[in-house]
Amino acid sequence: MKKSLSLVWLLLLIASGLFPCQLPASDADYQQGMKALSSNDFSTALRYLELAVAGDPDNLRYGSDYRQAIIRSKEFDRALKFFDQATAQHPKSANLRLNYGFAYVDKIPAAGSITQVILANNALTEFTRSLELKPSWIAYYTRGTSYLFWPKIFKRAALGVADLQRAMEIQKSEQRHRYHVKAYIALGDGYWKTDDLVKARVAWEAGLKEFPASAALQQRLSLKGDELKNLIEAQFDPAARVNTDLRDLWTD
Amino acid sequence: MDGLKIFKAYFTLAVFCASTCAWAADGAQTAIRFEEIGAKAGIRVQHHTRRFHGKNADVLRMFTSGGSAVAVGDYDNDGYEDLFVTDSDTGKPNHLFHNNGNLTFTDVAAAAGVAGGNDPQSVVSDAIWFDYDNDGKLDLLLARFGTPILYHNEGNGKFKDVTASAGLTKFANTIGVIAFDFDNDGHLDLLFANYFRPVNLQDLKDPHVLPNDLDNATNGGGVTLWRNTGKGTFEDVTEKAGLGKVKGWALDVGHGDFNNDGLQDIYIACDYGTDHLFMNNGNGTFREVTDKATGWDTKKGMNVDVADYDNDGWLDIYVTNITDEYMKECNMLWHNSGDGTFIDVAKETGTCNTGWGWAAKFGDFDNDGWQDLFVVNGLRSAGPESYVPLLLPVLTTPGLDITDVNNWPDIGGRTWSGYQKKHLFHNLANGSFKEIAADAGVDNEMDGRGIGMGDFDNDGRLDIVQTNADQPLLFYHNVTAKVGNWIELKLIGTGKSNRDAIGARVKLTAGGLTQIREIDGGNGYSSQSTRRAHFGLGHAGKIDRLEIWWPSGRVEAVSVPVNRVTYVEEGQGVIKR
Repeated sequence: MKKSLSLVWLLLLIASGLFPCQLPASDADYQQGMKALSSNDFSTALRYLELAVAGDPDNLRYGSDYRQAIIRSKEFDRALKFFDQATAQHPKSANLRLNYGFAYVDKIPAAGSITQVILANNALTEFTRSLELKPSWIAYYTRGTSYLFWPKIFKRAALGVADLQRAMEIQKSEQRHRYHVKAYIALGDGYWKTDDLVKARVAWEAGLKEFPASAALQQRLSLKGDELKNLIEAQFDPAARVNTDLRDLWTD
Repeated sequence: MDGLKIFKAYFTLAVFCASTCAWAADGAQTAIRFEEIGAKAGIRVQHHTRRFHGKNADVLRMFTSGGSAVAVGDYDNDGYEDLFVTDSDTGKPNHLFHNNGNLTFTDVAAAAGVAGGNDPQSVVSDAIWFDYDNDGKLDLLLARFGTPILYHNEGNGKFKDVTASAGLTKFANTIGVIAFDFDNDGHLDLLFANYFRPVNLQDLKDPHVLPNDLDNATNGGGVTLWRNTGKGTFEDVTEKAGLGKVKGWALDVGHGDFNNDGLQDIYIACDYGTDHLFMNNGNGTFREVTDKATGWDTKKGMNVDVADYDNDGWLDIYVTNITDEYMKECNMLWHNSGDGTFIDVAKETGTCNTGWGWAAKFGDFDNDGWQDLFVVNGLRSAGPESYVPLLLPVLTTPGLDITDVNNWPDIGGRTWSGYQKKHLFHNLANGSFKEIAADAGVDNEMDGRGIGMGDFDNDGRLDIVQTNADQPLLFYHNVTAKVGNWIELKLIGTGKSNRDAIGARVKLTAGGLTQIREIDGGNGYSSQSTRRAHFGLGHAGKIDRLEIWWPSGRVEAVSVPVNRVTYVEEGQGVIKR
């Protein structure tokens, strides 16, 4: 009797897809993709990672790792095409939009200077759509930082500061994470870019109070004048690859 | 970027330099100085960009804001370098400045018959001197947005328009031209850089004439290669030579023997796209080697100058690009690795950022044996408002047809990348340069275009003519004290070499340093410098070895005195002028 009950239970589990040894399809695809990636089999990796993202579009990790694979394989246009189609199929997925925006950012270092402007603007559009779907720390932080990459002449740094202030508000109401230090750094940089060095230092000092080991904050607070300018400008060099790997969000 | 190759290049230079850079170290103390004497010399003429008509006038004027060119050459063989300076607006005359021999000039363009060219349908954009018929007198070619004009030097101070009989009747929107003998047949050929595709901008029927992509445009004018038949005519051999596939917005072209095989190769700088490097096959055709040789570039090639800046025996290439607060492209100094590849060392050498770059020219301004670099820049220095923010919607509006002139905003009284200081980079003889424009007195903020270098007073110091768009010309007289010893060679080819000796290579060893020069036929945007080979010798009071590798293939060793301009004829050695 006991044995037959177990069998029924097992069958029920299988039928409902909850059998513990059976991974969800998208996760299985993700695992296959990452395995292929580890052996530099980009063709297989990208195929499986795309299946993973398509199966779980709001999964930031799948999208982020897919983009990192794209960066390694330099198939930037493939990613843009994929995200374009995926967002059309899943218009309400905020995190998919976020990864779509990052896919534009990922291509910037490989593009000519004017195409970089177009890509950056497209990224901003996707970041905004993501925010409209789901205001979150990562969405505000991402768009806010993105504004700071724009040359001063386009006057977008103030918009960046506003977004980063919202990110700060959110993180103050959340459980503390190590990645929150990034908002302090970026907010200070934003103030610096709007010529408010006093507020910049206040933001960096507040960050250092909460994250005393932060080398980035220490460095900013230790520099002045051209040295500080050079440091911040190097941070926002459009030709340099920006780290868009979002793993901090799930490893912290 | 290949770090190992850069390391090797610097290591080689460092080892070599350890024994040869003594003068250069002194040279670093020598203050390079120039005095601007354009007005006193009688050549401070104002340039005018072409004014267009109709609703697209402002945008077209903006996209054609070049045309301020200078060509250096001794057209009357009196031993002094003369100047041809272009204008571009309708009816505005060009200038032929005859060098009076005392650092003053007389404009004889009208009397010589070369003032014209800016008719209502054509815009003069560039000019070069070259002796196309090897008669010993420099002829003059005007490149235009339109058909070119070839003037034959009649030898009596007059020029005759021989364009039609020469067959140079093809319309193109040419912005740059060089003369060189690509097939080594002894007759100088012409390579045109064409900006727009061949549409008449003066009478625009279709407004879709602007670049179809601002980084990878494929709808430009490409290049045209005209082969000199040796019978007073030219034939278009662009396709046959393998250059027909260049569809970009060619803004400048340059030539040199980049692989030391005795054949002239070419570099094509393209605005809105990737530059092209073609190697000469020696059979009238070229092969493109861009992917292997240079690879990715910053997509706004504006200038091509060629020199062996590090004295390693291989010609390097300098290309200006656009670097400003809103666009960080960085120039490219392509260091020739000698193995068919080039490494961009602009950042490492300190020559990366020169603003909105135009012409750049190498020259040894203090005669220390190491070639320095002068770069001009600037676009549309006007009112306090910037045009740049107005461009953002053009770039980012989805679906906007950027080829349509009507979709670009008028610039009006706004500034684009204006009021930029010029750059003079002193070669430190260690693989890097030091920016010294302010100390040297050349850090003007005009909208520079062309650079004509030459020794206009035959004192062994290279002077500079800077042309500017919609602004007056500047003439910088080199007054550097305590320069090193020098020689200048005026080469005269004979037999199977072209008479101008364009493409000839001179190899000089003195004071433990070996340098090379190649005679070029107009390298550098909107400009042609002297065709004399100028060498600085530093402290060296004698030349250990001087070899001339003529285009014909003949190699000739000659002995020449220092601190003199010397004429050398192929097969004859040193001759009297």
